[in-house]
Amino acid sequence: MIENNLLSIIIFAPLAGALINWLIGGRLRNEMFSGLVACGSIAISTVVAFYLAFFAHGGALFIKEPILDHIWTWINVGGFRADFALGMDPLSGIYACFITFVGLLIHIFATGYMKGDSGFYRFFAYLNLFMFAMLTLVLADNYLLMFVGWEGVGLCSYLLIGYYVKKNEAREAAKKAFVMNRIGDWGVLMGMFLIFTLTGSISFFDKTVDGEQVTSVFSFVLANMQAEPFTWGAIVAGGLTSVGVLMFIGATGKSAQIPLLTWLPDAMAGPTPVSALIHAATMVTAGVYLVVRSNAIYQLSPTAMWIIAVIGAATAIFAATIAIAQNDIKKVLAYSTVSQLGFMFLAAGVGAFVVAIFHVMTHAFFKALLFLGSGSVIHGMHHEQDMRKMGNLRKYMPITFITMFMGWLAIAGIPIWAGFFSKDEILYKTFAADKYFQNGYFPGNEILWVVAVITAILTAIYMTRMMVMTFWGTERYHDALPGEAHHNDLHAIDDDHAADHALHNDDDDEHHHALPHDFKPHESPWVMTVPLIILAFLSTVGGLIGIPYAMSSLPVVSSIVGKEANHFDRVLGPVVAEVDTPAAIKARENAKAHSPEAITTERWLAVLSVVLAAIGIAIGWFVFRISPLRKMPRILEEKWRLDEFYNGYIVDPLTRLSTVTLWKGFDLGFIDGIVNGIGSFVVALSSGVRRIQGGFVRSYAAFIIAGAVLVLGYFVYFGARLIG
Amino acid sequence: MEFISENLLTLLILLPVFGAIGLIAHQMFWKQEDHLKWVTLGITLLIFVLSLLLLNSGTASSAGFFFEKNVPWISAINTNYHVGVDGLSLWLVILTTFIMPIAILSTWHAVEKKPLGFYVFLLLLQSAMIGVFVSLDLLVFYLFFEASLVPMFFLIGIWGGANRIYAAVKFFIFTAIGSLLMLVAIISLYFLHAKATGVGTFDYVTLLGTISNGGLPFEPITGTLLFLAFALAFAIKVPLFPFHTWLPDAHTEAPTAGSVILAAVLLKMGTYGLMRFCFTLFPDQSRELAPIFIVLAIVGIIYGALVAMVQPDVKRLVAYSSVAHMGFVILGMFSFTEWGMQGALFTMLAHGVSTGALFLLVGFIYERRHTREISEFGGLANVMPIYATVFVITAMSSVGLPFLNGFVGEFMIMLGMWTSSALAVTATVNWNYIATMAAGTGVIFAAVYLLWMIQRVFFGKVTNEKNRGLSDLSPREIGLMVPLLFLMVYMGVYPRPFLDRSREAVVQIQERVIKQAGGTIDRADSMQPIAVEK
Repeated sequence: MIENNLLSIIIFAPLAGALINWLIGGRLRNEMFSGLVACGSIAISTVVAFYLAFFAHGGALFIKEPILDHIWTWINVGGFRADFALGMDPLSGIYACFITFVGLLIHIFATGYMKGDSGFYRFFAYLNLFMFAMLTLVLADNYLLMFVGWEGVGLCSYLLIGYYVKKNEAREAAKKAFVMNRIGDWGVLMGMFLIFTLTGSISFFDKTVDGEQVTSVFSFVLANMQAEPFTWGAIVAGGLTSVGVLMFIGATGKSAQIPLLTWLPDAMAGPTPVSALIHAATMVTAGVYLVVRSNAIYQLSPTAMWIIAVIGAATAIFAATIAIAQNDIKKVLAYSTVSQLGFMFLAAGVGAFVVAIFHVMTHAFFKALLFLGSGSVIHGMHHEQDMRKMGNLRKYMPITFITMFMGWLAIAGIPIWAGFFSKDEILYKTFAADKYFQNGYFPGNEILWVVAVITAILTAIYMTRMMVMTFWGTERYHDALPGEAHHNDLHAIDDDHAADHALHNDDDDEHHHALPHDFKPHESPWVMTVPLIILAFLSTVGGLIGIPYAMSSLPVVSSIVGKEANHFDRVLGPVVAEVDTPAAIKARENAKAHSPEAITTERWLAVLSVVLAAIGIAIGWFVFRISPLRKMPRILEEKWRLDEFYNGYIVDPLTRLSTVTLWKGFDLGFIDGIVNGIGSFVVALSSGVRRIQGGFVRSYAAFIIAGAVLVLGYFVYFGARLIG
Repeated sequence: MEFISENLLTLLILLPVFGAIGLIAHQMFWKQEDHLKWVTLGITLLIFVLSLLLLNSGTASSAGFFFEKNVPWISAINTNYHVGVDGLSLWLVILTTFIMPIAILSTWHAVEKKPLGFYVFLLLLQSAMIGVFVSLDLLVFYLFFEASLVPMFFLIGIWGGANRIYAAVKFFIFTAIGSLLMLVAIISLYFLHAKATGVGTFDYVTLLGTISNGGLPFEPITGTLLFLAFALAFAIKVPLFPFHTWLPDAHTEAPTAGSVILAAVLLKMGTYGLMRFCFTLFPDQSRELAPIFIVLAIVGIIYGALVAMVQPDVKRLVAYSSVAHMGFVILGMFSFTEWGMQGALFTMLAHGVSTGALFLLVGFIYERRHTREISEFGGLANVMPIYATVFVITAMSSVGLPFLNGFVGEFMIMLGMWTSSALAVTATVNWNYIATMAAGTGVIFAAVYLLWMIQRVFFGKVTNEKNRGLSDLSPREIGLMVPLLFLMVYMGVYPRPFLDRSREAVVQIQERVIKQAGGTIDRADSMQPIAVEK
């Protein structure tokens, strides 16, 4: 067992930063101080995380055993043990590295973006608190501590979405996010109870604590449990499949999958760095982490995996169709995130756990880039988010344009950019699910593949539309939107500081300002562009650490990177449990064999997907370059009216039931009716003796005491007589 | 010093009474009304410090009680002044002495009429509450149980809100009906014991001994009726659905200090009574009737949360949330697992701290605006940022966010219910799982009603001009919230001191209930995972 106390620094540095900013930063109100504390604490975490992941004890990513750190025993009651203890294995190592690094860049970006905001210190306190919770989530060494982080990120997300407290949509969105997450949390809790009753443990790693041997959930499952049948009945049988489904309910909440997806787009009401950090790069991928972390359980529950794959694919295409019709630049990216998360779950569902994490990482790079880029655009446009009022920004914001261009290529799936390798792997693994799925048989994988391919085309189209509307075309900064002619005038009256966006009025809200007539967008300061450049670099080359064998074995490629270029797979491979069912063994052999047919198929599919991506970009370019304001189908613009459906069929009836039936009907009507009935009966009865009810407190007291003495005396007297 | 530790519990019971007499005397001779609160605060602080000596417990008596004192009282009916604490009552006593100074500080500027009576009643109430938790004689317990009713009745009836008379009478009628039944049961026990052994007794420890020796066999119907008489008294106090309708009225009309004490301590007398008396005196009946209580608890959890969601009045909302939380406590107790029962006890404490804090916070805003209607507020975070921060933290603790105190208890309760064997396990359905899943939805609803209220009260722009000039929390108000906030975090992060001290007592009760089932003890350490053969 390798122990290293440095591990706790990774989580406690941001916590300390949060506390310092909250307690001292609030007094000082000095942006330099708050920014330095916030970024400094994350920088410490980043350095320690990379040191432990790559160097200490040979590097957590490269050694067989996890690095552990027991901090204190949290709950230990009657055989149930939950430690506050951390562990870093390749999975949590990768997560910790990209969370701290991307987090650091976003913190730096935010010091520029939030400049002049009166809640500056509060914003960074929350942001640091979020980092604490997120790192606790991924570094926790048991389900319960993971759940602490899981709820913690939910809370921080609530606080940060609602950061602009005066914005109505912000507070609505904050509540909605928290509640939808909570619905998912219910699943995680129940799953945790079930896994504990099945295995007697909630720990992720085998370890010795206080002289006590703790067996991990997964060792127990691998040693003692069998694969479950592929039936609907397995879901409610109370075995591993039930665990898998319950945990996945949690994942749908946190990672915004069908049916709990509507909170994420609304969450865009928060500041843009928050959208980049929480709602794109880190928190929303926690669901994928949970599934991959529990892969030993999932490999034995084919039904649960199949459900994950189907929900993932369905979410991917559903969100992509909505993204294509949104006009708010952040909404496009939000739906795009939901769609990409669907891809990750599709990968996990077909058993390609490593690929799912690969896509989590590349997505963290290019989606953080795109969000920060959009933040830079919004900053330059004086908080205008509607793409219909943008256009030709590449002239004014060249760095933002070029960096976002890289992100565009990455997400669309153009070779060598990061998104290409991860997405292509997902498509291939889905297509060939029968071969690599740990349970041998995967019904409907071809359909899922078609869905995924269509989604990939849609992705290229909506991203192109976004780029075209923002960076090309005519400058529409002063155009009134259809039906919103008065909108601007109202704002102009509202807002005394329209001319100077750095000087927010006392509202400290991110509402956009009416633009002066000589308005020209401007490029953002270096604290914002440098993180963009770094992320653009990572989005461009970050995928090269995971080049699949089918491509690295091409003579041209292997001469540069070598034949075994999938470093990512090599590092994360051990995370996937080696289940010893015949089907799983076969699947592993298939994956190692690299048969010529498989390689050929994978290469042709890669060619196909590049062609399709190019077609998507071409469609997007030709359609929206000509008419950027083309009206999109209304049903898509209104997000398939899912919110209306939820409100009409769940929220409103429940509120009505609570008010009319339960409260006014049962409580006030029925129970109190009985009580009051008895009451008025007694009153009527006692109206004869009204004279003694003088209404004086003293006489009430006297009566009560006298009554008590009488009752007591009676019992003392008769009781004594009875015993005699 | 020797004297103090010998008579610690008696001192804790009597000091408030002496304090009350002192207050009256002070008022008679000096007539300085503004001294009263200082004197009361001093007395309650002294009691709190004294009560901490309980943690320094010596050796237990044979029955597992510490600081035991047993002297004859009315020898004609063989009733003794018998007091003692164990792990079950220890924290509840300290919770009582801890919450009193805070409650008194909260009334600093709020009591305008008859301050003397107000503080005298508060002190008498404290005496009665401590008495309830330490009595080991059923008759003495009953007297304290009833005695706690009277000061509360007057606190609501005299210093309450507009509809105070209705609320006070309702409170009185509900609880008095229950406790009268309990009195009948206590007396019946006395005579049954007399019939079986020749000596009637009210002594809890003696009764326990006789029952576990099989010396006091009940007819099944007698046992059930006795159990129900006790249980009803306690269920009304908790309050368990459907006996809960007195609670929202009492809470809404009571003065802030009254609400705080009501939520923090008085409700716990019900759950404490169930665990202390119903479970141990009637283990078979407890087990047989557990499904009814579990169902009512779950209904209460969901019902309380749903109704809380649509309340227009903040205080009423918090009151209904209490119904939901206490449902969790009942659920945990009736799971008869160590986890569930420990969790129930822990939730009692956690609820006392966080719901007490919520009522204080509601009181702060009421003192400023003289209304509690949610629709009257909006955007308070802009004018009262400290208040908003404290409120959100407290609400999160009530919602059950991990690392705050609400989570530990609720988690253990649900774990206990999940692993329980209180409900049937058939070939296809494990009803204990279903019960836990149903109760778990309460966790979702808790987030809904509290966050929705916070959203409407604190966020957004200031819509009502009356709220624009509100002052943020004063140093006194912050000062009395700080210990509560500290406890919320401490109990959530490091719950072990609390759990460790109560373990022995709780496990004893649990074993008593389970053992009668036919010998096998469902201790947690006997719970081995089900290994599936390959």
